[in-house]
Amino acid sequence: MRGRKLAAVAGVLAVGAAAVLVVGSAGARSKASCGTVTLNEQAWAGSTANTYVAKAVLEGMGCKVKITQIAEIPVYQALANGKTDAVLEDWQHVDQYKQYISKQHTVVAGGPNGVVGHIGWYIPTYLMKAHPEFATWKGLKGKESLFKSPESGSQGMFLGGDPSYVQKDAQLIQALGLNFKFVSVGAEPAQVARWSQLYKQKKAVIFYWYTPQYLNTEYQLSEVKLPPRFKGCQDDAKSGGNVKQYKCAYDNTIIEKVFSKKFAGGGSPAYPVLKRFSWSNQDQEIVAKWIAGDHMNPDKAGKKWVAANKAKVNKWLGK
Amino acid sequence: MSTSTTGAKRLGSSSGNPLIRAEGIWKIFGKNADRVIGTADAELSRAELRTKTGCVAAVRNVSFEVWPGEVFVVMGLSGSGKSTLVRTLIRLIEPTAGRVEIDGHDVTQASRDELLQLRRHTSSMVFQHFGLLAHRSVIDNVAFGLEVQGKSKAERLARAGEVLKLVGLEDAANQFPNELSGGMQQRVGLARAFAVDPKVMLYDEPFSALDPLIRRDMQDEVIRLQHETGKTMVFITHDLPEALRLGDRIAIMRDGRVVQLGTPEDLVGSPADDYVSNFVRDIPRSHVLTLRWIMREPAAGEADGPTLDVSTTVRNAVPVIAASERPVCAVENGRVVGVVDKEAVLMAIAGEGD
Amino acid sequence: MAVAGAAAQSLPSSLPAPWWRGRPGAAVLVVAGMLLSYFGWKHHWAWPAALEWNSFSPHLDRFQAWLSNNRNLPHPNIAFRIFNGFANFLDDLVSWLTRLFYYLKWSGTTALGTLVVLRFGGRKAALGTLAAFASFATLGLWDNSVQTFALMFAAVGMSLAVGMPLGVLAGRSATFNRAITPILDAMQIVPAFAYLMPVVILFSVGPGAAVVTTMIYAVPPAIRITALGIRGVAPNTVEAATALGATRWQVLSKVQLPLARRMLLLSVNQTILFALSMVVIAGLIGGTGLGDAVTNGLYTDPAFAIFAGAAIVIMAIALDRATEAMANRTDPAQRHLTAHKAHVLRAYTAACALVVVAAVVLGHVFGAGTVWSRWTAQDWLRTYVQRALDYIQNPGTFLFRNLTNPTGNFLVQHGIQPLRTFFIETPWPATFAGLVLIAFLLSGLRRAAIAAAMLFIVGLVGEWANAMDTFSQVLVATVLTVIVGLAIGVWAAESRTVSRVVRPVNDVLQTLPQLVYIIPFIYLMPVSGVPGVVASVLYASPVMIRLVQRGIEDVSPESVEAATSFGATRAQVLLKVKIPLARDAIMLGVNQAIIMVLAVVVIGGLVGSGALGYEVAQGLQRNAFGQGVIASIAILALGIALDRVTQGRGAAGARSES
Repeated sequence: MRGRKLAAVAGVLAVGAAAVLVVGSAGARSKASCGTVTLNEQAWAGSTANTYVAKAVLEGMGCKVKITQIAEIPVYQALANGKTDAVLEDWQHVDQYKQYISKQHTVVAGGPNGVVGHIGWYIPTYLMKAHPEFATWKGLKGKESLFKSPESGSQGMFLGGDPSYVQKDAQLIQALGLNFKFVSVGAEPAQVARWSQLYKQKKAVIFYWYTPQYLNTEYQLSEVKLPPRFKGCQDDAKSGGNVKQYKCAYDNTIIEKVFSKKFAGGGSPAYPVLKRFSWSNQDQEIVAKWIAGDHMNPDKAGKKWVAANKAKVNKWLGK
Repeated sequence: MSTSTTGAKRLGSSSGNPLIRAEGIWKIFGKNADRVIGTADAELSRAELRTKTGCVAAVRNVSFEVWPGEVFVVMGLSGSGKSTLVRTLIRLIEPTAGRVEIDGHDVTQASRDELLQLRRHTSSMVFQHFGLLAHRSVIDNVAFGLEVQGKSKAERLARAGEVLKLVGLEDAANQFPNELSGGMQQRVGLARAFAVDPKVMLYDEPFSALDPLIRRDMQDEVIRLQHETGKTMVFITHDLPEALRLGDRIAIMRDGRVVQLGTPEDLVGSPADDYVSNFVRDIPRSHVLTLRWIMREPAAGEADGPTLDVSTTVRNAVPVIAASERPVCAVENGRVVGVVDKEAVLMAIAGEGD
Repeated sequence: MAVAGAAAQSLPSSLPAPWWRGRPGAAVLVVAGMLLSYFGWKHHWAWPAALEWNSFSPHLDRFQAWLSNNRNLPHPNIAFRIFNGFANFLDDLVSWLTRLFYYLKWSGTTALGTLVVLRFGGRKAALGTLAAFASFATLGLWDNSVQTFALMFAAVGMSLAVGMPLGVLAGRSATFNRAITPILDAMQIVPAFAYLMPVVILFSVGPGAAVVTTMIYAVPPAIRITALGIRGVAPNTVEAATALGATRWQVLSKVQLPLARRMLLLSVNQTILFALSMVVIAGLIGGTGLGDAVTNGLYTDPAFAIFAGAAIVIMAIALDRATEAMANRTDPAQRHLTAHKAHVLRAYTAACALVVVAAVVLGHVFGAGTVWSRWTAQDWLRTYVQRALDYIQNPGTFLFRNLTNPTGNFLVQHGIQPLRTFFIETPWPATFAGLVLIAFLLSGLRRAAIAAAMLFIVGLVGEWANAMDTFSQVLVATVLTVIVGLAIGVWAAESRTVSRVVRPVNDVLQTLPQLVYIIPFIYLMPVSGVPGVVASVLYASPVMIRLVQRGIEDVSPESVEAATSFGATRAQVLLKVKIPLARDAIMLGVNQAIIMVLAVVVIGGLVGSGALGYEVAQGLQRNAFGQGVIASIAILALGIALDRVTQGRGAAGARSES
C-alpha cells in the first residue's frame, strides 16, 4: 500500500522531471531570420509609446515581438544575458554605460532615439502670470513662504521627483540659498497626484518636472529659469560632494537606445531597423497621451501611429 | 527492624538477582549540572541550590532494587522527582550520575543500539497522559511498538488483537483515540505496553488523570494483569491509597530523595520521619497492618487458640480475635509464628490518628 | 518552577506602590530627561562623523561591479554557472507550468483547480475557487493570473522544498533554531529592494530571478511554521514512541510528521500568502503576470493597477481558504480514515480526474482558448473605478476638503512633525541613552545591550538622522496601529458579527499590494509622511487585530464566569479580566505591529515618507547598491532594536526557563 503510493509519487516526479528537461531543451531556441525580438518597456507612458510603435513596425516585418517589463537598472543584466534585446528609451545611465558597454562589452549603445529630455523646475502658468518674477530662480528668493505646507512648516515646499530619476534639487536649493524644504513625494504617479491636486486648487506649487511628458498637453506649466550651465557642472547628485558643483540648470538629456550585444551581433534583420528608430518629442507625447490619457490599447495606439506616419517608418525600414 | 525480613519475605518468588538495580541516581537540570555532584553544593536544599547555581536537583542519590515479579511503587507529591526518576531508568532523561542495570544489562553505559533494543524488548511504559497517536486507530496504536521493531503487519495486528482482548477493548479496535473515554484510552496505553511482552512495565502516574471510580477499575485491571502475567512493575503515583493497594514495596520521595523505602506495613507501622507519618496519618492502620506486625512470641501454652494466616490484616482479624477468649495464633506455612491478643489489636487500632 | 518564577517577577507591580516608583514611572522620567536635553541642546549634537564608517558603501558598490563583471565574462567560473543553471531550471519550470495551463485550455484549468479543491477541501472551498476563476475572467486578467499562478506554484514549491526540511531540523534542535532565527528575521525585514540587484546579477532577470526573490521572503515562514508544528506535537506522544524504542527517524516519520501535518499544510498556506505579497516586486525583474500589471499600471493606468491588485487579493483569499480547508479536512488526527472510507475516496478521486480530462478534451474539441478572452467586464468596471478615482483626485470634494485633508494635516502638525524634530534634533547621546534605558526598563539587561548595539550600528553606517526620521514615523504608525488594533480586536472578540466582517477585510489588507491601496491616500492626504503611515497602519493592523481578538477569546471562561458571579458589568469584565489576561497576546501584537510597520517603510519611501525607505528605493532605482544596503542595514538594526525593546520581560523570563 505504502510502497505503491511511494512508487506513484516517484513516477509523477520522474514524469515531471522529464517534462522539465524536454521543455528546457525546447526552450533553447535558435534565432532564425527575424524570429522573436524582446523589447523592454519601462514603467512610464513615453516608454510604452516607443515600445509599442516599434512592436507594430517589427510585426509588420514578420517578427514576433515579446515585451518584458523590467526596471531600469536590472534591465542591464537582462541585456547582458540576452534575455532582453533592446531598450528604446534610456535616460543616460552613465554608470551602467561604463560598466556594461565600455567594460564588459555585453551591451552596445544604440544611438539617440530622437527624443530630447529636459529637466527643470516648473510652476503652473497661472502662478507665473500672477508672479512674473518667478521666471528666474532669483524671483523666488524671499517669496518661498508662498509655497509652504504643513509638511514644510515655515519653509516653502519643493516637490522632488521620482527617486529613480536623475536629480540634484536638494543640492541646488542649498547652493542657491533658497528657503525651500525639499520633499520627496516618491514615484512619478505620486508626484503627479501631488502637484496636479494643488494645480486644481489654483494654489502655489513648485516641482521637479520634465519634457517630454504627455501631461504637458493637459496642464499649463511654466519653467523657472535656473543659473546657466558652466564647465564641470553636475546634474546627478547621487555621487554627493560640494553643492557648488550642482549650481546650474539641468542639461538637456539625449535619450539613448541600448541593445544587447547578442542581439546586435546576431544578424537579426530587426536590429538595423531598431538602430534607425528615431522620432520626435511631439510624436512620443501623442502616442503616450493615447495610451495613458485616453486608455487606448497600446497595440492599437502603436499601429495607429505607424499607419499615420508611413514616411518615418519607411525610413526606419531602410526603404 | 523488621523491614528487611518482612520485605524479603514477600518476595518469596525472587530468584537470585534483582531485575532492576539503580545505584546512586542523580538528575540535576541546569548548566554545569555535573559539577554539582560530589561537592558540598549537592547537600544544599533544592531552593538553596537553585539560588546558588541556577541548577534544579530533581533526583538526588537514589538507589533501589526491584525483584522479578515485584510491584515497586515510587510515591511522592508533585515535584518530588519521581517521574524524572522513572525516566532515567530507560534514559528518556539522561541521569547526571549513577548507574542503572536492567535484566543484567548496564543501561547507563548502553550504546544507542543497545538502548533501542532494551526499550523495544525489555521495558515498556504507560504514561499519565496516555501519549496515544491521534492519527492512528486503536489497533494501530497498540501495534506501534511492534511496528517500531519491524514486525510484519500481519504479525503485529494479530498480537495487537490478542492484547486488546486482554484489556477488553476488542470492539474498539477500529476507533480512534479521541473517540474513547479517558479510561478506555489508558487501556489502550496499557495494551500498547503489553503488546511487546516486556519484562518490566513502567507506569508513570497512569491513573491520576482519571476519575476516582475509573481509577479503581484500572487499579484492579493492573492487579489482574500482574497476576496473570507476572510482570515486574515500577509504578509511579502521588496517591497513597493507590500505592498501598498495589505496591509490594514503596519508596517515598521528597525533594528528590527517597525518605523511606519499605512495605506498606513498614510505612504505616513505623514511618521514618514526620513527613512520612504525616502522609500515612489518615490511613487506617488496621487496614494495612497484618498480624505479623502486632504479634508477639507465644508464651508457654498460648499456641492453642484459633489460627489465622500471618498476612491477615488487623481489620479482618478483629471478628475472630474478639470472639475468642484466647489469643489468636498467627500461622505461616502451617507453623505458628506468633500470637495476637485483644490488647495488641486495641493498641494497633488506637494508634490510628496520632 | 516556571510558575513560581513568573509570579515572583510580577509581584512588585501588583503591590500598591505609587506610579512613579514603578517601571512606567522610570520610563516617564527617561523621556522627561530626553525632552530636557532636546530643549537645552537641540541641534548641537548630531551623530559625530568620527563614529561613521563611510567607506562601507563604496566597498559594496565595488563588490557589486565585481560581481557583475565576473558574471558576465564569456566564460564565467563554475559558481556563476551554477547560479545560471539554477535560474534556467526555474525559468523552465515556470514556463513549463504556464504552458501546461495553456495546454489545458481555460476549461481544463478551471476544472483542475476546482476539482482538486473539491476533492481535498470540500464543497465550500471549491465554490470559492470557482468564483476566483470567474472573477479573473470578469476582470479580463485570466492570462496574467495564470502566469502569476505558475510563478507562485514554482516559488511556493521551491520555498517548501527548502523550508520544510530546515523547519523539521529547527523543530527538533533548539540550537539550530536559535542559530537560524536571526537569519530568518533578516530575510523578512530587509527590504527586497536592497537585494534585488545582486539577485538579478546572479540569476539574471525573468521568472527564475522572480522565484529566487520570492523565496527569500517566503522561506522563513515555511521554516518557522514547520518548526512550530514539529514542536507542537505533544511531547508525551514523542516520549511514548521513544520509550517503545523508536529511532529518531521513526519518531519523525511515524509520529511527528503525521501529527504535525495540519500545521505543515498551514505552513504551505502561509508560504503562499507571503509569496503572493512579493509578486509586485517580482514584476520589477521580469516575473510576468499580475505583478507587472500593477507596477506598470500605476504609471499609465491606475484603474488597471487596481484590477490587477484585486485579482491578487482574490487569488490569495481563494488559495488561503482552499489550503486551509484541505489542511483541516485531511488532518489524519481528525479524519479517521478507515479502509472503507479510503476506498470511497479513491473512487471520488478517479471521478474528479475523469471530469478534468473531459474538460480538457472538450476544450480541445470545441476550440476553447488557452486563456479566457471572450467576454470580460473590464471596460464596464473601469468606468466606475475611474469615476471613483476622479472623485478622490478632485480636491474640491467634501471628502477631501473637510475630512481627509484636515485629518492628514493634523497628523502631520501634531504627530509626525514634532516627533521627527524631537528625535532628529535631540542630542544623539540623550536619544541613544534614553532608548537603551527604556529597553532596559521594559525588557531587561540583555535585550537592552542588543538594542544598544543595534542603535550604534545605525549610527556607524551613517544613518542616524534618517533612522530617527523613520523611527518617528514608525512610532506614529505603531501607536495608531495599536489603537486601531485594540479597538477592533476587542470589538471583534465580543461580537461575532464584527468578527465575521473583519476577517475578509483583514485578508484583503494583508494581501492587496500596498502600492495599490496607497493610491487613494496619495490623493486624499497632504504631501507628507501620512500616506506612508496610513499604508503601514493598514498593513500592520490585521495582525494586531487578530492577536488581540484571539488573546481575548482565549481568556478562560472560568475567569469570566467568576468575575460575572461577583456582579461585574460587561465593561468591567472586559477591562479588569479579559484585557489584563490577554496582555501577552496584546504585547505580542504590539511587537509584531512594529515589525510589520517597518516592513512597509520602503513603500512609504516611494510615496513621500522619505528617510530610510527613500534611500533603499533609490538604491535599486539609481544603481546605488551600497546606499541601499546601508539603509537596509539601518532598517534591520532598527527593527531588531525595537523588537528587543518590546519583547518585554515576561517573554524574557519564559525563554530563559525553557
